[in-house]
Amino acid sequence: MKAIDTFAAVALVAAASTPSIAEDSLTDGKTGYETHCAVCHQYDGGGVPFMQPELFDSARANGPKGGVIDMILFGSAAPGAGQGEYSNEMPGFDFLTNKEIAAIATYVRTNFKNSGGAVTADDVQSRRPQSNGSGASSGAD
Amino acid sequence: MRAKFFMTGLMAASVLSVGLAMPSQAEAVGVTDGTAADPVTGISLPPGFKATIFADEVGQVRHLVAAENGWVYGALRRSVRGMGAVALRDTDGDGVADEREYFGESIQGSGVDVHDGYLYYSTDIAVMRWPLPESGAPSGEPVVIAEGFVSETQHASKNFAFDNEGHLYVNVGAPSNACMREMRKKGSPGMRPCPILEKYAGIWRFDAAKPNQDQMADGHLYSTGIRNGLALAWNPHANALYMAQHGRDQLASFFPEMFTNEQSAELPSEEFHRLSDGYNVGWPYSYYDHQQGKRMVMPEYGGDGKMESGEGEMPLVGFPGHWAPNDMLFLSTDALPEAYQKGAFIAFHGSWNRAPLPQQGYRVVYVPLNDEGDVSGDWVTFANGFAGPEPVMSPRDAVHRPMGLAEGPDGAIYIGSLMSGGRIWKVTYEGN
Repeated sequence: MKAIDTFAAVALVAAASTPSIAEDSLTDGKTGYETHCAVCHQYDGGGVPFMQPELFDSARANGPKGGVIDMILFGSAAPGAGQGEYSNEMPGFDFLTNKEIAAIATYVRTNFKNSGGAVTADDVQSRRPQSNGSGASSGAD
Repeated sequence: MRAKFFMTGLMAASVLSVGLAMPSQAEAVGVTDGTAADPVTGISLPPGFKATIFADEVGQVRHLVAAENGWVYGALRRSVRGMGAVALRDTDGDGVADEREYFGESIQGSGVDVHDGYLYYSTDIAVMRWPLPESGAPSGEPVVIAEGFVSETQHASKNFAFDNEGHLYVNVGAPSNACMREMRKKGSPGMRPCPILEKYAGIWRFDAAKPNQDQMADGHLYSTGIRNGLALAWNPHANALYMAQHGRDQLASFFPEMFTNEQSAELPSEEFHRLSDGYNVGWPYSYYDHQQGKRMVMPEYGGDGKMESGEGEMPLVGFPGHWAPNDMLFLSTDALPEAYQKGAFIAFHGSWNRAPLPQQGYRVVYVPLNDEGDVSGDWVTFANGFAGPEPVMSPRDAVHRPMGLAEGPDGAIYIGSLMSGGRIWKVTYEGN
């Protein structure tokens, strides 16, 4: 976890000093999380009681890679909206690239007291519908 | 544009001080932001008011009613031991309930009120009632009054109010942010006409006594364009229905090129309206911007944060964004000072959608209204401190969040919170 945090910080610093900042920061997990996820799950991953789940010690984030990837790709349609304690529905983020989703999934699985481990762009691609097609699915790198 | 009050608090205050010159004893005095909370009750109140913790660990209590029989009833969002409502009574007058009964088997919900000798209750799909018992929990099966509401998870509460002519008004919240084609998806446009308006996003009126009325077959769409009117109450002084709306979320995350995080935290306003038959607040086509004092075109419908909209009505007051008005109360006794007797108390649950800025709004406010039901002064904070230490950066850190409001037969005001196990405060006016 520490290593990933350090890596993220280094990546940010490096990105800030190079012309390719936009592309680099888009693929950075923390930036991606704060751009797309924090508005609901909060910057600290604490969620909103009764509305959006907290991500701390998350069974999904510590489980098989597909769980978090599916949540990001398909939103609450993946497990079925309205189950459990939380009232809000989550949209799918299938418009993000595999690389972006992998970065966000890795960030969630290695932060907020989670230790699920890293996710690769190939892992994301394998969860997309028709993932064996010839690049027809959206969000390819 | 109608020449009504739609000013911010500060504007209203300055106009009042210059123009109306109301006598000072007629002005409602609020509690100043930053006032230390009482160490026992955890909340702060204006001078002359006192609170007790009426009940603790009651469960996830939503709306409240304090009935003539001396019992306080609360609807529970999640049932406790299979029961979706709680009845509480303070028998020795110390401000703390010493009797507690749970009832409402196999139901859970948000709305509760007493009308015409009946105890009304709402789940997410129906409004029902029991004869109000002489004491304690009602017995027997409740009779369903209004039903046919679609089961939803977002904005699902079917909170309600009554007028003086035998009508029941039910809020049917929109399961949507801005009627986007794809739910909360960046770049997805708004639909026009918005199909959600057919069965949601409005106040439906029913006969308060007739069993088994269906929303679409028997209900009358009284007011529309309301994203979620969880704070809904009949003003008995002006004989009109008042509502405060939950405004849409995520202006900056969906439209970062148009809205800064600071603007997105503050906008859109949480709108406070006086409703009437046929009234259209404007969701999803428009929203109110209290910083500009204008109704604006929703960005999903072509707006850019600057384009004014001709759709929808101007609110009486535009509160800061995302404060989440969850209940409204008008008083019928004269136990409080005159300045507090005819206005609207609004319980704000507090925000989650102001990040990365601190969350705000975990308070009960009072909006002074005159006999005609028009805003007659600056709104003030009536009760504060619920959330605990400020700033609240993440909503989970809020210890309590105001939810239900009720007035007892003796004029005491009850305030509920469903956080931290569920708590109800009793607030009384003790004088100087």
